[in-house]
Amino acid sequence: MTACALAALAAIPATASARTLVVGVQDNLTGLDPTNINDTLSQTSLRTVYQGLFGFDRDMKLVPLLAERFEASDDATEYTFHLRRGVKFHDGTDFDAEAVKVNIERLANPENRLSRRSLVSMVDRVEVVDPATVKVVLKEPFGAFPNNLAHPGAMMISPAAIAKHGKDIGRNPVGTGAFKFKRWAADTFEVVRNEDYWKPDLPKVDGVTIRSVPENGSRVAMLQAGEAQFITPLPPEMVTVAERNADLEVVKRPSIVGWYVAMNTLKKPFDDVRVRRALNYAVNKQAYCKVVENGFCDPLDSPLPSLLRFHQAQEPYAFDLAKAKALLAEAGYPNGFETEMFGKNNTTAMRAMQFLQQQFAQVGVKVAVTPLEAGVEAQRIWSVAKPEDATVKMQFAGWSSSTGDADWALRPLLASTSFPPAMFNVAYYRNEAVDKAIQSAIGTADADKRAGFYAEAQKLIWQDAPWVFLGTNQLLTAQSKNLNGVYMLPDRGFSLEEAAFTN
Amino acid sequence: MSSYLIRRLIGTVPVILVISLLVFAFVHLLPGDPARLVAGPDATPQDVANVRQSLGLDRPLWEQYAVFLGNAVQGDFGISLKTRRPVIEEIGERLMPTFWLTVVSMVWATVAGLLIGVLSAVRRGRWQDYTGMLVAVSGISFPSFWLGLLLIDAFSVQLGWLPTGGYGTWQHFVMPAFTLGLGVAAVMARFTRSAFADIAREDYVRTARAKGVPERLVVWKHTLRNALVPVITMVGLQFGFLLGGSIVVETVFSWPGLGRLLVDSVSYRDYPVIQAEILLFSIEFILINLAVDVLYALANPEIRYK
Repeated sequence: MTACALAALAAIPATASARTLVVGVQDNLTGLDPTNINDTLSQTSLRTVYQGLFGFDRDMKLVPLLAERFEASDDATEYTFHLRRGVKFHDGTDFDAEAVKVNIERLANPENRLSRRSLVSMVDRVEVVDPATVKVVLKEPFGAFPNNLAHPGAMMISPAAIAKHGKDIGRNPVGTGAFKFKRWAADTFEVVRNEDYWKPDLPKVDGVTIRSVPENGSRVAMLQAGEAQFITPLPPEMVTVAERNADLEVVKRPSIVGWYVAMNTLKKPFDDVRVRRALNYAVNKQAYCKVVENGFCDPLDSPLPSLLRFHQAQEPYAFDLAKAKALLAEAGYPNGFETEMFGKNNTTAMRAMQFLQQQFAQVGVKVAVTPLEAGVEAQRIWSVAKPEDATVKMQFAGWSSSTGDADWALRPLLASTSFPPAMFNVAYYRNEAVDKAIQSAIGTADADKRAGFYAEAQKLIWQDAPWVFLGTNQLLTAQSKNLNGVYMLPDRGFSLEEAAFTN
Repeated sequence: MSSYLIRRLIGTVPVILVISLLVFAFVHLLPGDPARLVAGPDATPQDVANVRQSLGLDRPLWEQYAVFLGNAVQGDFGISLKTRRPVIEEIGERLMPTFWLTVVSMVWATVAGLLIGVLSAVRRGRWQDYTGMLVAVSGISFPSFWLGLLLIDAFSVQLGWLPTGGYGTWQHFVMPAFTLGLGVAAVMARFTRSAFADIAREDYVRTARAKGVPERLVVWKHTLRNALVPVITMVGLQFGFLLGGSIVVETVFSWPGLGRLLVDSVSYRDYPVIQAEILLFSIEFILINLAVDVLYALANPEIRYK
């Protein structure tokens, strides 16, 4: 009887209950080859079609996906992955150890010039043990390797599709995900349900359409008019509008996006730790959150945002103007000094920099704010060959560690090997003990040991204060009340796999 | 006439060449490294180098220009740095939405502008004139951005009659075309009114009236036809501007058109797309100019080309 009813249900073509989820986003997708794209929106959209060996849950914790479990050698150079059995790609071919080998080797091969190559560039070789087991040998220890494989850049593409489409794989995605690719044109990306999805009872909607609506007001209107059921981001100033509407729900979620001001520690007066600490005491972080993020923000209590793996809270630099002034006087700047701050030229960055300008003025530090358009920023900050040629004094910036691990939050920004143009250490911060801790932490796969090294690094960085630590903003979205199962991930991506309508 | 047309068309070739060189130079003089922007915020230097190489940005400038020109002649405008799809596909997808939006906007705006303009001129100093010009001034000064959002709130959110944005059915056209055309209609009305008023003072109009030609004929045949010459110029210019410049309206109404593509491309340093789009706009302007000249002749038999 039940079977009969189910069969009857299945036979009904996409009609009454047929619902497609429409998501309104700010930008266009940039491509459909996960190994060759870099923006969070494209990556997270492709998670409807593709999956990696690992993924992240809603708190950015590593979860098994196409791999069920793994073992690592103590020195973090050999990883054995046990794969989920019975999973098929959308083209009907099997997902197995051979597919993993093809994918990792494709990404690691420099000749393919794939932009996400750095995720697996430490791989020496991939061995197929049996169809459900694959062993990856690294050239050097890398304790965060499974996290790298959870990054969307390392998602598994059907080897048959790679062979068939070649370079055009970026137009014809074939993965193992809950949805199959249907169409991508101009500003619209469409996928339909994968009837043979390996997770039971999923997906619950017939398809997903992701549409780019750059104008904030239009995006909110789209939701109000019922043309979309989920929009992201919801601009903070639109929160009250959305909350007034009884059919809508505003959702706030924590992010792993940390905001800070990097101070060039090679330049006077920022070469003096007392000055850097003084500026940390001079900023009211609560006010920062209120003014810049309309209150949807939490002050940073470590160089790592709190949802990142191995985060450990530090003693906050409380808002204390007297202490800030005393420290400045001690450092030889009783009347403050003049300096310059770079940052992006968007509204939020401008507001943040003006706020900081006002805060620093209270202790006599006069800041000239210089907003930089993306291209100019690339030239002035990222392309400087020698540290002594750097013109940057202060930079207002944000960072989101896309692997969810402490490594990608600290190493690119605060290790001495990461001075521009190599990476993004704009503070030109160098502390040998920190370097050692970061290096040791990546040299082992033992989570406890790694935690110890990162605790050390966080403590030292917090004391040295190469940054003015500001806050992590919350992610704001709005959705129809009859939509369930859709949520934001802390890295500004979203999860649509469990989307369902209640009526 | 046809030999004139052919000469004019051949004459555009060097112009387009010069434009292509200027566009190429300007685009490449923009500060910033596209490879870094393409590679993304958390790319390693090796990633950036990979991208630069795969896009051919490591080659000398003159070589890049030669390749660009050589390919462009064959209709190949390269690959978009952002989406890695052929530029021609990228533009092709957005050409028709922008074209139709422009045409629909132009048609209603021209008709409405002409009518209001003629009415105001004929009834100069009376209430029709004042009303017409009031509408025209408001049309020019109303920011299309704000107007667009107001329309969306009224007709999509409150009334639910029209879609908030996107492209597809005739309903999708109503609000964007109204918003885009309003400014043009206003300019057109003012222009027609003054052109009409000028012509109405000419001797031959007075003569026509003196000969006892019915007023209706004086207005529509003698006056309007001559007043049309400057108005056609205006239509041509506005048409060209709209084709390239409907950026605000395309953004507010999520219209998948060329204006939005250009904004996206500039912020992303998507050289091939910017180059191709600006070239396309230039060619459009040249062709529209040509069409305007031909229309002059049709509107006014006094003007003849050799």
